[in-house]
Amino acid sequence: MLFNSIEFFLFLPLVFILYWLIGAKNIKSQNLLIAFASYFFYGWWDWRFLFLILFSSLVDFTVGHMLKKHTKPPTRKLLLWVSICVNLGFLGFFKYYNFFVDSLVESFTFFGKTLEISTLNIILPVGISFYTFQTLSYTIDVYKNKLEPSKDLLAFMAFVSFFPQLVAGPIERATNLLPQFHVQRKFVYANAVDGLRQALWGLFKKVVIADNCAKYANLIFNNYEDYSGSTLLLGAFFFAFQIYGDFSGYSDIAIGISRLFGFELKKNFAFPYFSRDIAEFWRRWHISLSTWFRDYLYIPLGGSRGGTKMKVRNTFIIFIVSGFWHGANWTFIVWGALNALYFLPLLLMKKNRVNTNLVADGKYIPSFKELYQMLFTFFITLIAWVFFRADNVSHALSYLGNIFSSSVFNNLELFPTDVLALVLFFLIIEWFGRSGNYAIEKVDFIKRPVRWSFYMLLIILMFTFTGEQQEFIYFQF
Amino acid sequence: MKKFFKNIILFLIILLIVGELVVRLTHAVSDIPQRTIDEYGIQKYKPNQKGYWKGGEHTWLINDYGWPGIAPNSLDSLISIIGDSYIENFMNPNECHQSEYLRKMLPDYNFMEFGRSGVSFIEALEISKQMDTLNPKHHLIYVNDDDFYESICEAKRMTDVTQLSLKDNKIKYGEMKGSSSKKVLYNWKLLYYFYNRFPIDYIKNNLTPKKVSPEEPSPNDNVPSNHIDAITKLMIYVTDNYNINDKTLVFHPNSNSSIITIAKNAGFNTILLDSSMDKTWTFDYDSHWTCYGHNKAAEQISQQLSF
Repeated sequence: MLFNSIEFFLFLPLVFILYWLIGAKNIKSQNLLIAFASYFFYGWWDWRFLFLILFSSLVDFTVGHMLKKHTKPPTRKLLLWVSICVNLGFLGFFKYYNFFVDSLVESFTFFGKTLEISTLNIILPVGISFYTFQTLSYTIDVYKNKLEPSKDLLAFMAFVSFFPQLVAGPIERATNLLPQFHVQRKFVYANAVDGLRQALWGLFKKVVIADNCAKYANLIFNNYEDYSGSTLLLGAFFFAFQIYGDFSGYSDIAIGISRLFGFELKKNFAFPYFSRDIAEFWRRWHISLSTWFRDYLYIPLGGSRGGTKMKVRNTFIIFIVSGFWHGANWTFIVWGALNALYFLPLLLMKKNRVNTNLVADGKYIPSFKELYQMLFTFFITLIAWVFFRADNVSHALSYLGNIFSSSVFNNLELFPTDVLALVLFFLIIEWFGRSGNYAIEKVDFIKRPVRWSFYMLLIILMFTFTGEQQEFIYFQF
Repeated sequence: MKKFFKNIILFLIILLIVGELVVRLTHAVSDIPQRTIDEYGIQKYKPNQKGYWKGGEHTWLINDYGWPGIAPNSLDSLISIIGDSYIENFMNPNECHQSEYLRKMLPDYNFMEFGRSGVSFIEALEISKQMDTLNPKHHLIYVNDDDFYESICEAKRMTDVTQLSLKDNKIKYGEMKGSSSKKVLYNWKLLYYFYNRFPIDYIKNNLTPKKVSPEEPSPNDNVPSNHIDAITKLMIYVTDNYNINDKTLVFHPNSNSSIITIAKNAGFNTILLDSSMDKTWTFDYDSHWTCYGHNKAAEQISQQLSF
């Protein structure tokens, strides 16, 4: 079920009413309703994969309990590895099996030998990368004694399958989300209103910004031979806003809906296109994934405590693995590696934590230096997005080859003024709202008639500019 | 909780009112004229209506006779133009109608349009029969392949379209479909906007609506033999019951050659429009003709018309 579908517009109010009217009696009924609604939500897509979530939940719940019981380090380590192998095993099989087979066959062919292993017709379970990482965080945190294992299976199942963030994050840490399932949620008017507002903003980002940009990004990327460098650059620009609107829009809806049910999820995006360097970009883009890799991969690998070599190695590992997490395609690996290359100079010059404050804090407009830094960071991100969007590496290289040619000075073959005006409107709102958790958070302080008029404007824009319904991009990850 | 629901409901009510105003002021949907069925069983429009086409750039007009377009000043040397939504032509301004172009190209004649979306071939003939009081000199009937299939009950039963039952050789007049629900839909503009924007089929299938190809449909010469038989029977009924000497069938570009042959063999004058060597006649988002397409069609008709 998509957040931007008719079914969901019927599903959400129904679950909301049931949750607060029937489920408000006790914590058990609240968790039961969440678990049931979440399984229904996921099963709407393909009920067969519910067994995967159920199995994964049962394994991690059991492992968590056994970790509490056993104190011997080798046994505990073994239990941790059982959880890691089961979770990553599923992920590896469903997501990466065909990629590895193809790559192996291709490499044999490259060396003049033939290898006959056939790929399988595997459906990728929606959101597997998200809930796998979420449950892994549980086992690892219990293993490290950072978290008490859950004694309530129902609460644990609701935590793993929590529908607002099940299929595309934010990837919640068990330490943050799971304890919220162990206490009864109370309806707080201000939180519900704020959640609704954030969900509205997320929906606007998705259906107005992302879906409209998608139309042109798809057109240009799919027919890149027909366009000059200038239009290809515009195509990359549209994709940059497509993916941002799509993914951060989903996160906003997920966080907003969770607040409606009394849950607080972590922030996943913090206005990344206003970053002044790539390190800042990565502190503001898909925060839940970046911090997951930082805590569960980068730091265990030694982080930046070792020498230069170790720093370089760990940086490359984390970025490449992050790229690979996005999909079984070399394009994502190159995208990750390219970001590592961008990041490396800052790390080596120890300038990766220079821009930790808000850009142009307290000012309406940025300085020239800040503007230049933001534009430069956006431009190099744009280049990396070409790999992310392209079908394969050679497609990306040809695309970039045309951008970096004299045809970049040609007149644009496409100039959709309406979509560009929408992006500009969106950027202005984001800029003035950048000190909040999401762009329109501060609208709450405006008087009701103006505030409601603004919401209505967003809704009218949504209905006027609703593009062709597109799935959320991050579902495929 | 009560406050939350109260505010949500209040917000939704205001949103409905604001949405209705916005849709009306921006002409986000076209105004739809009201239909009626006359004493002969012909579905036409209530006379003297006026409304905006989507976007508000032009208005459509229903004349004194209950048909779209401007009625001629005189009924002398009258030539009728009968057809479906291509002749109804709400999507273009009044000056882009066939009658306006033909009047300029053939100034010795007066032209009057009898167009309504969904008119089948047999209904066009019924319309021509019922307008004899106006004493037209000739009838131009604009047709495409579907108009023939849709004329035959046995080929494709459509209760809202006038059809011929081949079984008992009887005309079955079209009925008004869902008239009260249509009334609500057309007057509640916001609802009509949603209905257009998110059609029920689209919601059901969760599929993106297919765009109409900007090109004319490709010729389909492989009409099923049962359809050809049915159209042949239809033509026998037509020649027995209508005067065909004062009628010219204007076939849309790329019409099926077998159907044209059947019409010719039955004794009809025919004109086949040709857009193959031209830039597109149709809108990007709609298979109807633009002003350019209408002008070109009228040019070809004026050159080929003979009575």
